[in-house]
Amino acid sequence: MLPLNYAILELFKDGGAYDTTAVMAVLADTYGSFKAFNSAAVLESLMSAEKNELLTEAHFDLDNTGELHVYYEATDYGKEMIGRYIG
Amino acid sequence: MEKKAAQLKAQQAGRFFRKGVIIAVVSGILYGIYSACLLAATGSGEWVFWYEGYAEGSFINLPVTFLMGCLILGALGSGINDFISAIWMLAKAAVKGKFVDFLRCLRSKPGMVMVVCALIGGPIASTAYLIALTMAGPIATPISALCPAIGAIIGRVLFRQKLNARMVVGILVCVIATFMIGSVAFGEIAIDTQYLAGLAIALIAALGWGIEGAVAGFGTSVMDYEISISIRQLTSGVVTLFILTPILFIIAGQVNFFDMLGGAFTGDLFIPDTWMIGAPIVFFLISGLAAGLSFGFWYKGNSMCGAALGMACNGGFSFWVPFFSFLICGLYLGWGFDATGALDVSTGYVLAPIQWAAAVVMVLGIFLIAVNPLDWFKKREKAER
Repeated sequence: MLPLNYAILELFKDGGAYDTTAVMAVLADTYGSFKAFNSAAVLESLMSAEKNELLTEAHFDLDNTGELHVYYEATDYGKEMIGRYIG
Repeated sequence: MEKKAAQLKAQQAGRFFRKGVIIAVVSGILYGIYSACLLAATGSGEWVFWYEGYAEGSFINLPVTFLMGCLILGALGSGINDFISAIWMLAKAAVKGKFVDFLRCLRSKPGMVMVVCALIGGPIASTAYLIALTMAGPIATPISALCPAIGAIIGRVLFRQKLNARMVVGILVCVIATFMIGSVAFGEIAIDTQYLAGLAIALIAALGWGIEGAVAGFGTSVMDYEISISIRQLTSGVVTLFILTPILFIIAGQVNFFDMLGGAFTGDLFIPDTWMIGAPIVFFLISGLAAGLSFGFWYKGNSMCGAALGMACNGGFSFWVPFFSFLICGLYLGWGFDATGALDVSTGYVLAPIQWAAAVVMVLGIFLIAVNPLDWFKKREKAER
């Protein structure tokens, strides 16, 4: 089992675009019981990875409730780094 | 709808940016508290006699060189601080349910990178900093605060982080400010071999922390920062206290490491009529907590802002160290007063006017690195489209 942050980044290896909600939906079964598994912490992980150019913004939209969803995808550099350090 | 989404996204990005800057600035403030408390701890109890011992050319019972005395006491103080800090940070990670992740990360490649960073920034840079402080005096602090410039360059080369002309100018302004703070020390200390060696050793600390800040800041974009800092402090504490220090003891011909370790926590505070018995341990507990929080925020700030801005905000420690030394050592412990009871700048525990001015210059430097008015307007324009 990977540490939570590694698992979040590893998701992006498949080339897909995920927002916080999508990340949490995929990882909920495995990490749902973790105290640190909450949307604020996941969003901060995604934004930190974007700041360090591992991820880049793919697109964003508002849902029916007016909540913002920013989707991220891995950069080529990010895929290389995730592959090299996380496996 | 699109305009509303763009506005919300810009707000989210703004909150993230501000949080990163605040975290990085707070890391510098906590660094000041850590340094001042460590100074208080190693200026109290048995430490007073140990330092007097090596100042006279002897150390405990055996004669050792001045440098060896500095090395042993520097490593002992740094090791105790980092080990206590590791206990604090592991407890914090455990309370937040991250202890199992800590063990998993420790066995991973990023965990190993963090261990190497800890060795560079801990036993090597921290000990070098303490030695430089002892040999060259307070000037060591601004010299070691060159680390933001080094970290920014490393971040640019290794991790493709942005570094433009405006940011370089901002970093230079911060460096000038750190030298303004240290300039107070220039007039009072004889520039001899020992002093110059101290400056060179302070540069080693700057290089070590520059490497650590850039690499560990990046590592924190992969790893949770509370786990990163737990690995950092545990590695640094164990290696410095239980490997480096005993080796130095053996080299110096000392056999009483554990006696000295015990003595490091006890004894009275170095002020008369004190009610605080065993004061060094009180200050070590505070310095350890502040150090862990400071380094953790440093990593997190760097990962949120990039190494250039994160380290420049943290670089405010070159002001916060003399500031908190003034409050804690100068005022609270009374080390800043002369025989007549007046505050005396020459004690090294009282801030001079130029140091206050330098703090303002440093804020300007950080502002230059952080904010480009043109970018800001461009972003607003984009968001409104």
